[in-house]
Amino acid sequence: MLEVNGLNVWYGVTEVLRDVSFRVPENKIVALLGGNGSGKTTILNSLSGMVAPRAGTIMFDGTDVAGWAPDRMVKRGIVQVPQGREVFAAMTVRENLELGAATRRDMAAIRTDIEELYELFPRLRERRGQRAGALSGGEQQQVAIGRALMARPKLLLMDEPSVGLAPLVVDMVIDTIKTLHARGLTILIVEQNVGVAAAVAEDAYVLKDGEIAYSGAAPALINDPEVLSSYLGR
Amino acid sequence: MEMFSYLLATGISTGALYALVALGIVVIYKATEVVNFAHGEMFMLGGFLAYTFHVMLGWPYVLSLILAVLAAFGLGILVDRIAFRPLMQRQSLVSVLLAMVGLSFVLKGVARHLWGGKGDYIPFPPLVSPEPIMFGGIMVMSQQLVVLGAAAVVMIVFALFFKLTRAGRFMQATADNPKAAKLVGLRIDRVYMYTFGVGSAVAAAAAVLMAPLTLLYPDIGFMLFIKGFAAAVLGGLTSIVGAVVGGFLIGIIEQLSAGYIHTSMQEVAAFIVIMVVMVLIPTGLFGRRGMRRV
Ligand SMILES: Nc1ncnc2c1ncn2[C@@H]1O[C@H](COP(=O)(O)OP(=O)(O)O)[C@@H](O)[C@H]1O
Ligand SMILES: [Mg+2]
Repeated sequence: MLEVNGLNVWYGVTEVLRDVSFRVPENKIVALLGGNGSGKTTILNSLSGMVAPRAGTIMFDGTDVAGWAPDRMVKRGIVQVPQGREVFAAMTVRENLELGAATRRDMAAIRTDIEELYELFPRLRERRGQRAGALSGGEQQQVAIGRALMARPKLLLMDEPSVGLAPLVVDMVIDTIKTLHARGLTILIVEQNVGVAAAVAEDAYVLKDGEIAYSGAAPALINDPEVLSSYLGR
Repeated sequence: MEMFSYLLATGISTGALYALVALGIVVIYKATEVVNFAHGEMFMLGGFLAYTFHVMLGWPYVLSLILAVLAAFGLGILVDRIAFRPLMQRQSLVSVLLAMVGLSFVLKGVARHLWGGKGDYIPFPPLVSPEPIMFGGIMVMSQQLVVLGAAAVVMIVFALFFKLTRAGRFMQATADNPKAAKLVGLRIDRVYMYTFGVGSAVAAAAAVLMAPLTLLYPDIGFMLFIKGFAAAVLGGLTSIVGAVVGGFLIGIIEQLSAGYIHTSMQEVAAFIVIMVVMVLIPTGLFGRRGMRRV
């Protein structure tokens, strides 16, 4: 479904991603691991059109989407749940979900999708009239995931969804990811928390200083002491 | 007492117009974090366009109002395309502000050329009978009531636009979190553009309502900008409610200080309020984040 080849990204005069290549097959969960500043968010932002790569191809369903603007990526089906959740803090939960469908025009279907989301996240139904900024971290993560789902993604990008959440809430996020996967969604997840990646991902890549350092089946990779030391040792 | 009630009534009706000017400043600031220094010229041009339609061409007042508001929407888009979008992409706030100030001078010059030089004051015919009405001992001009009612209608339309329409929601979302707005697929460049348009349209509405009460002149934009800006600052610069409350307060403050202290106070009251608020309550009455950049 997604095939990235030779991706190269610069911020000003610094090269942040060098010759990054990886694949996300349809219906799989792929994890992208790596220490702070290794370039994980930059990869997701390239896929979302938030940063323009200097070189490389991003083949998505047979089309090279590298360099496309964010709205085109969303319409194509690549949608991101950003690091730090980035909810619309002053707007209500329901408004946040509606905004997730900003690129859609099928108003009736949008309303039924929101109802479906409330089935997935009953807490959001209870909180629908409240400002998203007033919610707990776990609830905000649900808002962020729900908002992304409202765009009807084919490929969901999740940037450190477990960060800053209590262990019980992390388990809930893991369950949500599994549920979405069972429904047929393809997911690329960035994690610092190896446990989360191990719990959900089939394939994994490890990024180091902007380059792919290791790749393989997620459980094998994560149980490999050499990988772990390189990864956890930053 | 009679003088007080007269001043109060005048303050409230002009304050309603300041509130409209402030609304535009606040909406644009909330979205772009830039104070539109050409905002007063949107007011001035709105007034002159209405003058052209209504007085020179003899078209009905309401039609002239609608046309002036639409034209100002277009002018707001022009401000965005000339002074905001191309410069903001290079991340330079100072150049944006300078471009806006420059544009305001150009627009003023255009207005002088088209509608008369400095010192020419253009009368706008009254809408309703100039006879005052007595309201339980308070004398009000019927024109003031019309202005107050119409300003209230504009405010309600404005609020409904943000609450109920998709475009209004998109503007709110972009002001709330531009990064998230991009991620959900909003083209925030366009949202900014329409925000400038909407803000300018409201300023023009204020001008067309105010025109029959006052005289139009090319430099009126600056005066109104200062008053709207004072109202916006008083209200916290990021609060819609604050802009409205601030507008009424500025209107009342300047009338009362002109009436009881000295007539020259009418001109300087707004400046004084800006300075006092910045020193004593930098976040204004309703500000959340306060002022980060002006
Ligand atoms: N907007 C930016 N401008 C300049 N450098 C940036 C920017 N965003 C990130 N970086 C740098 O790029 C590198 C990769 O960042 P990022 O992709 O956020 O890493 P990660 O998500 O793995 O922590 C880091 O060294 C970071 O400092
Ligand atoms: Mg990151």
